[in-house]
Amino acid sequence: MTWLTTIWAEARRAPVLALLWAAAAALVIYVFVSGGYLIAVLHFAAIYVVFVTGLNIFMGFAGQVSFGHNAFAAISGYASAVLTATHGWEPLPAAALGILGALLCALIVGYPTLRLRGHYLAMATLAIGLIVYEVAVQWQSVTQGYMGISGIPPLGIGRFTVTSDRAILIFLIIIAALGVVAAAGIRHSRLGRAFVAIAGSEDAARALGIDVARYKLAAFLISAFYAAIAGSLFVHAVGFVSPEVYGLHMVVLAFTMLYVGGIGTVAGATLGALVIGILPETVRRFSEYQDLAYGALLILILIYAPGGLASLSSLSTRKKKEDA
Amino acid sequence: MSLLKLEKVTQRFGGLVAVDNVSLEIKQGGITAIIGPNGAGKTTLFNAISGFRVPTEGRVIFDGDDITGLAPERAARRGLVRTFQLAQLFETLSVLENVKVGRHLHTSGGLISALTPWRARAIEAGVDRIAHGLLTRVGLAFQAETPASALPYGQKRLLEIARALAAEPKLLLLDEPAAGLNRNETSRLADLIRAIAAQGVTVLLIEHDMSFVMNIADRVAVLDFGKLIAEGTPAEVQKNKDVIAAYLGTMEAAHA
Amino acid sequence: MPELIAQSIASGIAIGCVYGLIGIGFCVIYNASGIVNFAQGAFVMLGGMITYIAISRFGLPLPVAAVISIVVVAAIGMVLERLVVRPLWDRKSTMFVMILATLAAQIVIERLTLLTAGDQPRTLPMFTDYPPLRITGIALSYQFFWIVGCSALVIAGLAWFFASTKTGKAMRACSINAEAAALQGIPVSRMLALSFALSAALGALAGVLVTPTQYTAFNVGVPFAISGFIAAIVGGFGRPLGALVGGILLGVAQSLAVVLLGAGFKNVAALSILLLFLFVRPTGVLGAAK
Repeated sequence: MTWLTTIWAEARRAPVLALLWAAAAALVIYVFVSGGYLIAVLHFAAIYVVFVTGLNIFMGFAGQVSFGHNAFAAISGYASAVLTATHGWEPLPAAALGILGALLCALIVGYPTLRLRGHYLAMATLAIGLIVYEVAVQWQSVTQGYMGISGIPPLGIGRFTVTSDRAILIFLIIIAALGVVAAAGIRHSRLGRAFVAIAGSEDAARALGIDVARYKLAAFLISAFYAAIAGSLFVHAVGFVSPEVYGLHMVVLAFTMLYVGGIGTVAGATLGALVIGILPETVRRFSEYQDLAYGALLILILIYAPGGLASLSSLSTRKKKEDA
Repeated sequence: MSLLKLEKVTQRFGGLVAVDNVSLEIKQGGITAIIGPNGAGKTTLFNAISGFRVPTEGRVIFDGDDITGLAPERAARRGLVRTFQLAQLFETLSVLENVKVGRHLHTSGGLISALTPWRARAIEAGVDRIAHGLLTRVGLAFQAETPASALPYGQKRLLEIARALAAEPKLLLLDEPAAGLNRNETSRLADLIRAIAAQGVTVLLIEHDMSFVMNIADRVAVLDFGKLIAEGTPAEVQKNKDVIAAYLGTMEAAHA
Repeated sequence: MPELIAQSIASGIAIGCVYGLIGIGFCVIYNASGIVNFAQGAFVMLGGMITYIAISRFGLPLPVAAVISIVVVAAIGMVLERLVVRPLWDRKSTMFVMILATLAAQIVIERLTLLTAGDQPRTLPMFTDYPPLRITGIALSYQFFWIVGCSALVIAGLAWFFASTKTGKAMRACSINAEAAALQGIPVSRMLALSFALSAALGALAGVLVTPTQYTAFNVGVPFAISGFIAAIVGGFGRPLGALVGGILLGVAQSLAVVLLGAGFKNVAALSILLLFLFVRPTGVLGAAK
């Protein structure tokens, strides 16, 4: 029961943050009970929690840069879509293959890419994301190009399918929760320490025996794994896929979530995904105002609150230390 | 028994010769200091020894094995650990966590144990215990939960040493450990380094502070323009004409 | 077939010059500040768009419209610098944060354009409306000469600017060592603003030159930015002349890929070249400037 007391202590330390969490939880419960269109919004938010949590492992923990993780979501998502809708596969094996394919691509691409730093790394990962987008658009015989693939069956095993919106939501929340718990576990382990050490100082990490190249690749693969899962979850929850789903919009959205929540902390990534996912009510319509708002919001956050919501708690602890 | 042997180590950067044909033998145990005026090539030599740069010529033999050009993480695995001139702490981590990172080499566990924390509990408890012990040794136990970025400079340098010790080095390379410390901190540092050496860790350090070096070093090597110009006990080196010429007055200042 | 290849090389050179101009814009800002300006493509898009609006809504003749457009976009560049880049620069944000902010700015400009000007692709009339010249079997439109000619003039102008004028030399000083430049009395922040203005003007010029041969729309910014970035990387990031060379190489390679492999390979070819250079030779064909 010690984790209950820890949570209570944390809540007292950062009341604003605790309030946000409580509000998010209340909203989820409300939407769940009342049903309707908002459940689809929560689907979207839960899937992005998975994506952003994974991205946070690579960018927040290990301090690297990737503008291209949408590529891995796309690879797995399209594999799931094509195998189930076009070739009649069962969803789980299709997703498994998709995730495996995404991981393989991440491994192949990771080796040369991770030797790069700074804007070179940023550009290379952006290029990877764009190449996958292009393939999705151009390889029409398989992906149907801009038209996309529809009629993707919902998730399920054999005869047991997850069809109702609420059932999907529960399933997604469970997956998202598992992902978050796993990320927290990683952060407090020897592996996570090595990641954060690399972010702090690669030289010092190497001087202490950490094989930086190998660990960067590990962080890359783990985050690609999360991205792939999110990609497959999306196509089954929504029933439709097109290149736009995994385009630049996803990149900007994910970064907004990451920075609103607070890059580097698991809680921050989750909160950001929830807040940004739930806040606007439109989901499938990539409306013009939405992107404009996200872009402007991201700029403001980067300038005025680069630590995001999660930094609210550390701000209050620092204040208390100064007053003491 | 020599722990570290440098054979004609040379480091060239284009036309510039930063380290020139340095041959040196460090015996196991004790404290050796490398001194020399600014730009004499001391840190470059450290980089060559610890694998951060591949020497242009020459060999580095550590504990009987040729480790020339071996990657730093591999050298660390064999017991060669270095610190940096500008403290390279993991700023976002707490003081305790910084030291825990130092235990990386002597613990195991990757993704699986990260996902099954209950199995790693015993190992983590051990890491925690050792880390706390090291912090107590350097006098930083009271700062365990403080973010490393919040430490005053002198304590940052101590943290770096504690972290390096966590890796259980056979040879500890300290790059200007006393730089920027006040008199009080410097004397505490001297005690700490002597205690480390007394426990069997061989210490090789770079320093500028003459009185500090003369105080704790068993042997001193002097670099000037990348060349080794003198080697011996502190007393011998102090009297060496070439060394005096290289420093031109710094020695007198140290005695004043 | 050889004529087809020669023809595609010619068109590759033309589009390559455009890429080169965009790439030079990248270099100017990078040299002045170390920032990679992901919003560069927005300037290209605006160059074409504003010219179109000036012609269609205000009835201005093409040359006037083009000049106005370039000036307006240069001003927008300075606004971007003041509103987005400067606050981050003053707060000593990490390079990644600044790159991300410029990417967000690109999206904002894109969406604002969409809201105000609609999503219809627009085009501009050719500068000189004569039938193309035929040289050894290759048809070279007059636009080709405009593009190549303007690019050459721009390169020459920039070279003179950076070597001979006081402001140009000051900008170069900033890129070599901002602190030392500041100590010499050079207003570094003003140089930063100027570099954005210059880079935006170059982007706008590229947009004006290329739009008659294809089209412009609110979302052409990102592909152009990427092409310009590839040009800069291939040429050796930081070298303006290299960016032009890189752009031409990219344009030709892309053209050939389209002819030999199919139209769908246009972007994949460009991106693959980018990855190839990043992995194998990030310092580019000519080697990095610094």
